[in-house]
Amino acid sequence: MLTKLIRTTALTCGLAITGSAFAEAPAPYDITPELIEAATSEGSVVFYTATDVAVAEQLAELFKSTYPGIEVQVERAGSERVFQRIGQETSSGIQNADVIETSDAVHFEYFKRHEWLEAMVPQEVADKWPEDEKDPDGYFAAYRAHLSVLAYRSDMLDEADAPKTWNDLLKPEYSGKMVKAHPGYSGTVMSATYSLVELLGWDYFEQLGAQDVMQVQSSTEPPKKLAQGERIIQADGNEYNIFRLQDEGVPITIVYPEEGTPIAVGNAGVLAGAPHPNAAKLFYAFLFSHEAQQLNSDSGGLRSFHPDVVEKDSRTPLSEIPLLHVDAEKLEAMILEIKSNYEKFFGT
Amino acid sequence: MSFLELAAVEKKYGALTVVKGVDLSVERGQLVCLLGPSGCGKTTTLRLVAGFVDASSGEVRVEGRVVSSAGTTVPPEGRNMSMIFQSYALWPHMTVFQNVAYGLNLRKLPADEVKRRVHEILTVTQLLPLEHRYPGELSGGQQQRVSLARALVVKPEILLLDEPLSNLDANLREEMRFEIRRLHDEFKYTTVYVTHDQSEAMTTADVIVVMNDGYIEQAGSPEDIYARPESEFVARFIGGTNILSGARLSDTALRCNGDFVLDCGSGKLAADGKAIASVRHHDIHVGETRQAEVNCVQGTVARQIYMGSHRDYLVTIPGGETIRAIAPVEVKLPVGDSAWLHFPKEKCRALSR
Amino acid sequence: MTATQAANGIVGEGRRKRVDLSIPTFVLLGGLLTILVVLPLFWIIFYSFRNDVDGSFTLQNFASLVTDSTLLRAYLLAIGMAFGVGILSCLVATPMAWLVSRTDLPGRKLIRILVTASFVTPPFLGAIAYEILAAPNSGVLNVLARKLLRQDSSFVMFDIYTFSGLVFAIACFTFPYVFTLVSNALDRVPSDLEDASAILGGKALTTVRKVTLPLVLPAMLAGTLIAILQALTMFGSPAILALPAGFHVITTKIWSLFQFPPRLGVAAAAAIPLLVITVMLLRTQKTILGRKGYTVMGGKSGTPRITELGRWKWPSMAFVLFILSLTIFLPYGAILKTAFMQTPGAGLTWENFTLRHWNFVLFEFSATQLALKNTLFLGIVTATAVTAIAVVTAYLVTRRSIRGAGYLGILATAPVAVPGIVLGVGLFLSYANPTFQLYGTLWILLIAFMTIELPAGYQQMSSSFAGIHPELEDAGRIMGASRLRTLWDITAPLLRTSIIAAWCFVFVGTIRELSATILLTTANTKLVSVIIYDLNESGDLGAICVLGIILLAVSFTVVCIANNIPVLGRARNVMPRG
Repeated sequence: MLTKLIRTTALTCGLAITGSAFAEAPAPYDITPELIEAATSEGSVVFYTATDVAVAEQLAELFKSTYPGIEVQVERAGSERVFQRIGQETSSGIQNADVIETSDAVHFEYFKRHEWLEAMVPQEVADKWPEDEKDPDGYFAAYRAHLSVLAYRSDMLDEADAPKTWNDLLKPEYSGKMVKAHPGYSGTVMSATYSLVELLGWDYFEQLGAQDVMQVQSSTEPPKKLAQGERIIQADGNEYNIFRLQDEGVPITIVYPEEGTPIAVGNAGVLAGAPHPNAAKLFYAFLFSHEAQQLNSDSGGLRSFHPDVVEKDSRTPLSEIPLLHVDAEKLEAMILEIKSNYEKFFGT
Repeated sequence: MSFLELAAVEKKYGALTVVKGVDLSVERGQLVCLLGPSGCGKTTTLRLVAGFVDASSGEVRVEGRVVSSAGTTVPPEGRNMSMIFQSYALWPHMTVFQNVAYGLNLRKLPADEVKRRVHEILTVTQLLPLEHRYPGELSGGQQQRVSLARALVVKPEILLLDEPLSNLDANLREEMRFEIRRLHDEFKYTTVYVTHDQSEAMTTADVIVVMNDGYIEQAGSPEDIYARPESEFVARFIGGTNILSGARLSDTALRCNGDFVLDCGSGKLAADGKAIASVRHHDIHVGETRQAEVNCVQGTVARQIYMGSHRDYLVTIPGGETIRAIAPVEVKLPVGDSAWLHFPKEKCRALSR
Repeated sequence: MTATQAANGIVGEGRRKRVDLSIPTFVLLGGLLTILVVLPLFWIIFYSFRNDVDGSFTLQNFASLVTDSTLLRAYLLAIGMAFGVGILSCLVATPMAWLVSRTDLPGRKLIRILVTASFVTPPFLGAIAYEILAAPNSGVLNVLARKLLRQDSSFVMFDIYTFSGLVFAIACFTFPYVFTLVSNALDRVPSDLEDASAILGGKALTTVRKVTLPLVLPAMLAGTLIAILQALTMFGSPAILALPAGFHVITTKIWSLFQFPPRLGVAAAAAIPLLVITVMLLRTQKTILGRKGYTVMGGKSGTPRITELGRWKWPSMAFVLFILSLTIFLPYGAILKTAFMQTPGAGLTWENFTLRHWNFVLFEFSATQLALKNTLFLGIVTATAVTAIAVVTAYLVTRRSIRGAGYLGILATAPVAVPGIVLGVGLFLSYANPTFQLYGTLWILLIAFMTIELPAGYQQMSSSFAGIHPELEDAGRIMGASRLRTLWDITAPLLRTSIIAAWCFVFVGTIRELSATILLTTANTKLVSVIIYDLNESGDLGAICVLGIILLAVSFTVVCIANNIPVLGRARNVMPRG
């Protein structure tokens, strides 16, 4: 099927773009009244995202109140399912989505390679984003970042008894008490698994697999299982969901082990041949605006690369956390190995 | 030209031929009975006439116009016929009145005309008090009469009946037999009636058509069929009979097994092959002594039953065949004794098949 | 005379060249059914021999069925689970059916209705309800048990995230199959057979054991096989309960093969044994039901014998109530509570009461409206289309007006043997390509639902047609009504009840479908069942319960309306004899 994907896209749009595909990034653009008008006349924009559904819906609300007359259709699923869906749709010749966002770094390299993306650089990205966090050719940029963290219910586990490092999770006393998300479903966890395999080797996962871990799918789910009291420790899962739950008053403590915490960068991009090109362009610029990024941080708990975003005091600043970065190229080569080893150790 | 004609009609289902070249003429106002055992093709013939079944070859004509032929079939609704079904086929969701009025409404008669004619026929069939009942609330006999009324009210050109009495109990069946004949005499519809019950055919029909294995064996008046059967099948099917077989001596005489000559008063033996003749049970004379020069044979009483009005004998004759005979009560021969059987010449029927 | 004129008119009309629609209808239907049924199966077989990467012929996909231990394990677990479900369903349903059909247990009618209600519950909703109730730590029942027994947080009474938990949760919603078949059979076992045993001196229990039980044994086995089949091909409940427990059954395994990078060839090859097992189970069931002894069920000898329970009345009542709490009261209670409470585990107090889940689902969550609209649209269109096809097919088959009509019947029944997930794979392979471009439209879902629901609709309609004596239609024809007119005046009113029943059955079946849907849905074709599943992945139980309630409310409303639409005239509820 992948061959088919490649063939189709190569046939449909490849010829026209190939020559200029990997040239310089296009000139940055501003949100102009003309763009708003053109976007409004298209009436709606379709956003495929892997961000937590409530966060994404809030963002959509903000967009709608900022630019009345443009509907936002939020399509939320795990990163890998968003990817799978885009793949299925493209291979079927369907153009549904305008703007896409997933937390798996591999995806955007893949999209770019297959020329599924339209290069465009909002002014704000050009001016304020660190060079590492945007595509040099302007096809995508880091819309958000979040960590996949170790955390526990502080009301059910004393700090002294709580795990401090990843290897602590292998202690017998935590057996049956942990929840974790699935790399086959969640891009965050795919990245995190890669990072931890690099750091600790498959041994770590083999032993973790014997710990009677509750397996959920999305990386948004472990924090919710903690909140429900279903499990008291998450072996991985989104940091931003924990921030949100902490804001609601749920007693959860995040642990940032000294070895490092995996960071997942959520890129966003506009699809080539988007059904609503102007609305897509507007929405894409909006995603990187200060307001949107601040909202992501405040109520979404997401990390932002916008330098003007002010984080809540309660959160540990990114600069103080040892981070584990992902090499997208290496990760892509390891996906099958991760999936099959994971199934071997965890059953699914 | 007859009113209803079937000319060389055949019906095939794949390799199976159910009706094999049936020729039949029915005069206007006649009641014709198709009689035969189950599977003989009589119901298929009726459904061919009705238009439910397409003819594979041959023609069905009504008043000279072709209604069924190999290529074309006028659908049942285009034939102005009526039919009474074995299951009565009363529509359970309609009242007696609605059932009977359905055909008239289809003919777009004015409402008061419909009402008048429905009431008329319900009166004739003694159903008027039940007009608002549903079929589920009626007895078997009442349902049968509704079915009759529904069929008659449209004044069909041809009335078809498919074993109409087989679902009734014995007493009711007898009563309805005469009822159908009475209604026929009153309305004089051209009627085709299918049954497997020979006494039903005898009492109702003007013409009986005996069918077997897709063929017409014989057609004729009830008397023809009974008294002058042409084939072994007809002789056996209508009324009890003994079939004697032997070697052909002439058109009417044969030497039977048991070495005696049977000279027949009517009919004609087949020109070659086996010679057979039929003698009805009650036409045979049983006695202690030989009663005539010819057509006699001596046998042994194998069984004798006193039936009140007569005695029922089984006599084994030298050829090994067993003859059944009805004798007056006075003729009393014990089992094992010898008995003389006399087959009166005028009662012996030579069969051609 | 008017009648004669009218009659002549009719004769004249009939002499026109006869327009027979049955041949074109037959061809059209045959083509449609072939496309619906044969095409997806063809593509499954095609892809199972195809190398995903270069498209060449390969047997590797089938080899991986044997060599890939994860696939093998998924199959073994699925089969184990299915048999567990079958046996549990049978053990629970048989005594209950006997109590309801053959004893003086109070409230028997209500019990029957309640059991039927658990039929309507989508199994995935039931599974979610049991997550709320019996998750090992946060489950409402476990919290309650800890409180009552004064135990600490390490005490776990029930754990739904286990193999046995999964078996239990599925059995809760499959036992009605066994119950319905067995209780119907018990209703129809002629009591003279039992009387005969009683006269011969058999004690009540002996009679049950020696006469009644053997007579309903076929129904028990048949029902159990259906439960097994349902469990084997189910996607929703295992996806919700087995994955957290750390194992795959075959349906979830096939689904996971679609994750990036998709392994279509293996998915297709993995679907084939499931197909074969299903066909085998169905054949077994048919053999059991077709055996001679079972025809006794057709008898109608008076009212069935009623056993007086005496002092067993209350224990029996307790048993039935216990089962009903597990299948109805507890799950629905949990769903209602979660829909209105801050967190599922929160105490039932006024402070914990909230409408925020309703607010979220109805006003904030942008997918709701679209999904509801899609679900209703597909439900109604599928139900209408399937019923229409089923009526025409059943008519052609039962009336045998065309040679080869039996072929239509076989085609219409065939999808029964195709598990939803397999069909999903097949349809994806058939239509998700640039030629058809159906993927991402509602049409591909419509095709899927029509295929899945056709057997149920067809079987219902063909047995109804079989119940209408053909002579009833013949009588209409010979009285002067055309074929169509006869259908409208006579057949349709007699079928009215069955048509509506079939329609509702298909509708309810459609809106709870998940196994094929999950592979075929996209952003614009979201259905309520899918967003429930998606929300479960992100753990939004409150919203799920609200959606579940809405889904059930909509089903009941539509079914109610359908039953009161004055179509086809008001039929009297007198069934034809014969």
